[in-house]
Amino acid sequence: MDLIRDVLDKEVVDRNGREMGRVDRLVLFVREGAPPRVAAIELGPAVLACRLRPLFGRWAAALEHAFGVDEGRPVRISFGEVLDITDHVKVDLAFGETAAATIEQRLRRWVGSIPRSS
Amino acid sequence: MSALVDLVLGIVTSIGGFVEVGSISTAAQAGSEFGFQLLWAIAAATVMLAMLVEMSGRLAAVSKRSLAAAVRERFGIHFQIVPLTAELLIDVLLLAAEIGGAAIAVKLLTGVGFQWWILPIGVAIWLVLWLSGFAVIEYGLGLLGLVTLAFVASAWQLKPAVSALGASLIPSLPTHHHTRYAFLAVSILGATVSPYLLNFYSSGSIEEKLNESELWVNRTTAYTGMCFGGVVSMGVLVTSAMVLQPRHIIVDSYDQAALMFVPVFGRWAIMLFAAALGIGCFGAAVELTLNAGYTFAQVFGWSWGANKPRRDAARFTSAFTLVLLAALAVGLIGFDPLRLTMLSVALTVVIMPAVVLPFLVLMNDEKYVKKHTSGAIGNAFLALLTILGGLLALVVIPLEILGG
Repeated sequence: MDLIRDVLDKEVVDRNGREMGRVDRLVLFVREGAPPRVAAIELGPAVLACRLRPLFGRWAAALEHAFGVDEGRPVRISFGEVLDITDHVKVDLAFGETAAATIEQRLRRWVGSIPRSS
Repeated sequence: MSALVDLVLGIVTSIGGFVEVGSISTAAQAGSEFGFQLLWAIAAATVMLAMLVEMSGRLAAVSKRSLAAAVRERFGIHFQIVPLTAELLIDVLLLAAEIGGAAIAVKLLTGVGFQWWILPIGVAIWLVLWLSGFAVIEYGLGLLGLVTLAFVASAWQLKPAVSALGASLIPSLPTHHHTRYAFLAVSILGATVSPYLLNFYSSGSIEEKLNESELWVNRTTAYTGMCFGGVVSMGVLVTSAMVLQPRHIIVDSYDQAALMFVPVFGRWAIMLFAAALGIGCFGAAVELTLNAGYTFAQVFGWSWGANKPRRDAARFTSAFTLVLLAALAVGLIGFDPLRLTMLSVALTVVIMPAVVLPFLVLMNDEKYVKKHTSGAIGNAFLALLTILGGLLALVVIPLEILGG
């Protein structure tokens, strides 16, 4: 598997097919005398921004903190939770039970309070 | 039968949705200053747009990915971030210009200053997006947009010499104001080949669940719809050339452009021009706003779709709402909509190579388009457009300063 081509930046869906985000960063476990192994995938604006510039990553993290949505973020998903890699990266989790859903749930409260939102 | 209905609706709405603030202003200025001489620029830009739109639809139908999603996945965020940021900024400017265009249309009808209409039009755009599914947005606004056929009717009634029109389809140099001529030619390209249209079309194909067996629908809709749409743009230029140029009226405001309908439509002229401008701009504004939501959601992997209940795609809904608010803020500052339009079409040309280049790779990657890769003609076109786009990107800002 080519990690950059086949995993990084690919869409992540939960076990029910619900969009969770994209693979914004890969966490590798470096072993002495053996090839590195993929330990986890990470999702979230802070890690994505960090890939562009570490400073941008710190700004994004500070913004998340300021808005009170930083708990459990960035989301790190163990590679063992990955069920399948096809057009998407499917993980054995439920979106709503992870911190990936924090911002969506927060906004949903506001959006849902407007008539005819459902 | 369903595919046939989709095809007819697709073509009709492509025609109705083709003309908006950029195409009206560039074509009207070109006609009033250079007669028919820039018709070739509209023809060339329309063929380019049709080919790119067909590719966007094919990519979506086969790979089930929109253009923005495919670019993120294939090229990564490092490649995407600069054109994406530039495209979103241009979308905000263009959206402000479209809202300004719609506001001027209401001003033409009511006599009340256009600034007063910016906020109500913003609310109307948001309500359409809040209350409607994709079909209503696409087909409803596209069908209303058929009022822009008034430009074709007007050009037809004015009876232009067919030989002169045919001769104008071959590029030629003007006898005066070479820089202005070059600037308008490049602006017509920027106004026609809007990057937002490409992602909007690919996202729409996914919303409508277009699949591999319906590629013929995509191809026919793209080529027929866009080419007839281009004829509407040509109608603007021809009408402007035959009405405004002989009277030495240079279009430096939409109020002046409205005069082009007077000889054909008489007392209905202003009302008809206002309807064509207003509906064209309003439809484009709704599409631009929706596309901003699509782009954010697809790049970051959020739930999206105009057919989803808004609370089930809260980040997508919030994203398009914020972009609309940003455009309203720009509009309320009080920029002249016509100047804003010309600035945004010039900036569109600057980012064109970064928009076209990914097509060259994606349309040859079997992982995305399977056996439907581009042939020699498609690849030659994309390579030529990338090089041409690169050259135009270098000259457009100097041209904007010297000839804008």
